[in-house]
Parts: sequence; structure tokens; C-alpha cells
Amino acid sequence: MIDAMSRQGAGNVAVELMRADGAALPAFEAGAHVDVHLPGGLIRQYSIASPPADRSRYVLCVRREPASRGGSASVHERLRVGQALTISTPRNLFALMPGGHHVLVAGGIGITPLLAMAHQLLAGGASFELHYYVRSRQEIAFLRQLQGELGDRVHLHSAEEGRDARQVLPGALDGAGNDHQLYLCGPAAFMDHITAAAQARGWDASRIHSEAFAPVVPVPSADAAAQDAAFEVQLASSGQVYCVPADRTIAQVLGEAGVPLSLSCEMGICGACLTDVVEGMPDHRDSVQSETEKAGNRQITVCCSRSRSPRLTLAL
Amino acid sequence: MSAVPHPANPHSPLPPGSTFTPGDWQLLARQWHPVANASKITGAPSKATLLDEALVVYRVKGEVVVARDVCPHRGVPLSMGSHDEEGVVCPYHGLRFGAGGRCNRIPSSPNQAIPAKLNLATYPAVERYGLVWVCLAPDADSPAPLPVMPHWDDAGFQQINCPGFDINGFAGRQVEGFLDVAHFAWIHTDTFADPDNQLVPDYTTVETEHGFRADYISSVSNYSEGFRHLAPADFAWLRRFETHLPFTASLTIHFPGEQRLVILNCASPVSARKTRLFVPIARNFNLEQPVEEVHAFNLCIFEEDRAMVELQRPERLPLDMALEAHIPADRSSIAYRRGLKKMGFGEFFLV
Ligand code: FES
Ligand code: FES
Ligand SMILES: [Fe+2]
Repeated sequence: MIDAMSRQGAGNVAVELMRADGAALPAFEAGAHVDVHLPGGLIRQYSIASPPADRSRYVLCVRREPASRGGSASVHERLRVGQALTISTPRNLFALMPGGHHVLVAGGIGITPLLAMAHQLLAGGASFELHYYVRSRQEIAFLRQLQGELGDRVHLHSAEEGRDARQVLPGALDGAGNDHQLYLCGPAAFMDHITAAAQARGWDASRIHSEAFAPVVPVPSADAAAQDAAFEVQLASSGQVYCVPADRTIAQVLGEAGVPLSLSCEMGICGACLTDVVEGMPDHRDSVQSETEKAGNRQITVCCSRSRSPRLTLAL
Repeated sequence: MSAVPHPANPHSPLPPGSTFTPGDWQLLARQWHPVANASKITGAPSKATLLDEALVVYRVKGEVVVARDVCPHRGVPLSMGSHDEEGVVCPYHGLRFGAGGRCNRIPSSPNQAIPAKLNLATYPAVERYGLVWVCLAPDADSPAPLPVMPHWDDAGFQQINCPGFDINGFAGRQVEGFLDVAHFAWIHTDTFADPDNQLVPDYTTVETEHGFRADYISSVSNYSEGFRHLAPADFAWLRRFETHLPFTASLTIHFPGEQRLVILNCASPVSARKTRLFVPIARNFNLEQPVEEVHAFNLCIFEEDRAMVELQRPERLPLDMALEAHIPADRSSIAYRRGLKKMGFGEFFLV
């Protein structure tokens, strides 16, 4: 249930979840997320920001997306303290790696998994630094924690003060040791920029980690790039809408929601999962449909393809 | 397409005891399928079965005739009969059938005019690639074309026809096996493949008018054991597969230089559970090698494949992709199943 909600900088709301009976929640590692079943039937993935050592609660933090009619609006408008919420057990696609020094770089609300990482690294006595890029100081989430216990390891960069990521890069990107690890979370363009900068400075890709980049499905097509964005899938039959985050496939999201799907190869080569598209523009990632079929946009392989439109309505 | 009733059953166009669903049978019946090696059809009537239909195949004055293997008089199989210059003679009452399956003699009333009812129920037949091809129910509006075999008629190429080879399995499974490049290292190691060369390099399939094409490039040599040294080091073998749905596929193997070996795999659906494999081969090298050696080498390969195809379950080919698992090496198999599905075949396997 929701034990507390608090404003965390302009536009963000933190939600503290506890078990109704006060018992400990399942353990999680820094970087993990939970699926939250929101009022209205939406399911969204949110990273846990609170320290993994504290199993009495999970703290999530959600930014109000002005364009959204979905998850973030539901969190901001419909969640109330005391309300019961169904969530999944935590899953981690963004785990900390062994390393001599950890550079955490957050853009905006991307702070949430990195904050948990900072807590875990601090508790473990590891060497780390946290860079937090915001548009203005008013937007900073979890300011008290950042100023308090994490203290001098935190570097705040505000665009208003001329310190956006294009102008100021974390100094730690230069002269990185071979066992240094870099963790990124934030808007895709932001992560692209930092990744490119790090690679230009000799970081190899295996030491650069970001949740959105996690290759969940081996995607054969060459254009399957890092630009993956979240989108919504709607079922034509029930009208239910689900969010497909950058790091998960339509099939995974629908499968977990109990929507019956037909799957076989799960890599876009067999066509078992081809599903009729009612509305929206698929981003075809399969190699089973011909170019003509793809151009027709009548069917989509839900095991690996994504969407070019904000929402896809499928004949399910 | 109008469904002409079967002569043996006015209520259905299917032969009695058909092992195919009516829909699948009709789709298959409008295609050309080989039923015999043309060189084996001299004059004498010979027996064949296609899509559960018993056929008699004979030659008269050079022309091949394919008909239901049922005498129109009292239903005795003509394949049991004898022949003379004028046609095949039924063993029971001696009626004789000649060109076009027309009855040309009633021994018991030699002067009687012969009614049309006594003519055989014949099917269109053509000779191509050393085979006799038959179409049981031609679609007048869009007649099916014969498959194309590369190089068969090209100068410098030798034509070879392997003897027909029987498989207790479904033609679709056999053809899919022919297109399957991942099994070489597992079952063809006594003939051409290398058990240590199991990797399947990525390849793609391209849709064509009657099926698809796949160019598969790998280091798996096609020389038989003992001739491997003939390939230049690091030679990249190109195998071009071209399917003609439903059951014919050609494989053109690019040997070093301009040497080509073309294998036409024609799986003739005797029934849903029996297949007769016909394999015309064309090549422009090794021309002095006795054809018996070629037959023997290919027979070994067919046997290696047969062992697997006869064991596969379900016997028929699941066209619903979710019913079997697929790996990247299966791109051709996937294209094959998709192609069959597009042609309108049913799930094809629920035995
Ligand atoms: S499951 Fe094979 S293409 Fe989606
Ligand atoms: S390994 Fe493929 S059928 Fe057994
Ligand atoms: Fe084989």
C-alpha cells in the first residue's frame, strides 16, 4: 500500500510503498524495477530509488510527463496515500558490476535507479561518484538525501546555470581505469551523448551500462539501434493499454499480463507471433516478413518489433 | 475451380481413401507432380500412385499416357496387363487402350463401334527432366507451371536420373529436409559433410514467383570423402536453393571454377504418408564418371535423410509456426512453411 507520497522537485512525485501488514518486502538489488498496476489497468515499470538495505519500503519516483495520458498522469492524479497497489516482485536488468570505481550519471528522473545504486555503493564502502543533470535546480528529486549522506560524492549540473551535458561532462570520463564502470539513466538522447563521449575517451562498451540498452532479444535487423523508446500497446478486444518500455518486448509485457500469445523463435525469424495491427505504425524488427509485407504494416511480430507511433492497437 | 466428381465416387472429387483433407487434395491436384522416370516407361503398363490415386503409365507410339489404373469395363487394374504396338491390353476381357487412352479393340465384338464410355480416364502428362509429370485436376483458369531446373538443357551438361526412391513419410517433411542446411554435419558425414563443421552461417531467403530462393554460403565441401583435396583452401561453397512449391526444389552447388552440380529434388506425394522421390541431376564436370557411381552416392544421401524423415512426428508438416521450435538455421524451413500456408494448405499435419 501507499504509505506516503511527496513532491520531489518540480514535476516529480515520490511514492513510498509498504506492505499493509508491515512485514519486510522482497529483497532487491540496486537498479531493479517493479511493475506497478495502476488504476485504469495500466502497467508501468518504475525503478526503485530507496536503499536496498531498507526492506521496509520501496520508494519510486515518477515525473509528470506533460504529453502523457497514461502512466505518469495516473500516478500523479489517481494515487493517494493509504491506497492499495499491486506490484510485481523486483527485477533487475540494470545491475551493478564489479569495479574499482563507479561513475553514475543521471539525467532528470533517471536519478531513481542510480540513487539506489549510490546507497548500495555507499553501504558497501565502494568508490563512486554521482552526476545528476537537471534543467533547473527546482527539479532536483531527493535533494535532502543527495546533500546529506551522499554528500560530497554528488555533482549537480543544472542546465539553467550553463551546465548541461553538452557543455560539462563528468571529469571521471577522462582517464578511466580498466575496472571503472559507467552507469547511465535518463532520456535516450542524453544517454547517447554520454555514451558517445565515453567511448571517444576510450571506454569500451562492456563497461557502459544503461537499462534502456539492455539487449533483451537478439534482434537481427541492423537498424535495431539504441533509440528504443517506450510505447503503448492496446488490445482491440478489451481496450486495455499496456506500456512497453524500452528494454522489454511487446510479447513480454503482454505475456506477463496473461494475454495469450503464440510464440516460437522469439527472435523474429519464424512468424509464429505475427499479430494483426489495427492501428498505429509498427517498427518492424523481424526478418520473417518480406519488405512488401513490412511496408503494408498489416502484421507485426510481437516478439521483437516495436512501434513508431506512440500507440499500437493490436487485434488481440 | 469446379470440383469434378471422382469417377469412383459421385459425391466427392477425391479418390477413395484419400489421406489428405479435401482442401489440401484439391490444391495439390492442380499442381504437376512426377510419377515416373521417363526412361522406365517403354511400352508396358506400369503402376504409380499419386495423391492416393492409382495410376497406370504406358507409352504408345512414343507418347506417354497416364490414366486411372482401372479398366472402364469391369475395374481391373490395367497395370496388370500386357501391351502390343497399339496399346495396353486389360488382363480380364482383353480390351485394348491406345493413344490418348482411347479404347481401340473389344476382342469379343471386334466389329462393334466403340462408345466413349470405354475410354480411359486420362490425365495431362508431360515429359521433362527425364520424368513423367502429371496433373490430376488442372485449373483451366490458371494452369500450374512445371518447375524449372537450372542447366538441364545447357551445353556441356550431363543429365542423370536417379532411380525413384521410396520414403515412408510426408513429402513436405522430405522437401523441408532437403532445404535444411543445419543437418549436414549430423547425418551426411558418411557422404559429403564434416562432423566438425556444424556452424550455419547466416543466410536469407528471397520470395520468388513460385516459392523462394536462398543463397547459402559455407565452407562445407560437396566433394565426397577422398576428393576433399580438390577444393582450393578456404573455398567458399555457394549452394543456391530454389523452391517451386509445394514439393520441388533445386539445389545448384557452385564447385570451384565454373563447375556446377544441379540437383532437382522432386518429392511426389503418393499419399500423405508415402513419398516417391525423383532426383534429376545435371553437371558439367566428372563426365567420365559412370552414372552408377552417381546413383550410388546419392542413394547413400537419400538413405541418410530417409532415416530422419520417417521418424519425424507429427508425420505431416506443422504450418502453424508455434507448433515447433525454430532456430536461425531454419530460415529456409520457415520460408517453406510460410509459402505453403500462403498457397492455402491447411495445418497439414493433424494425422
Ligand atoms: S516468435 Fe518467431 S517471429 Fe516472433
Ligand atoms: S535435432 Fe533437429 S530434429 Fe532432432
Ligand atoms: Fe539431407
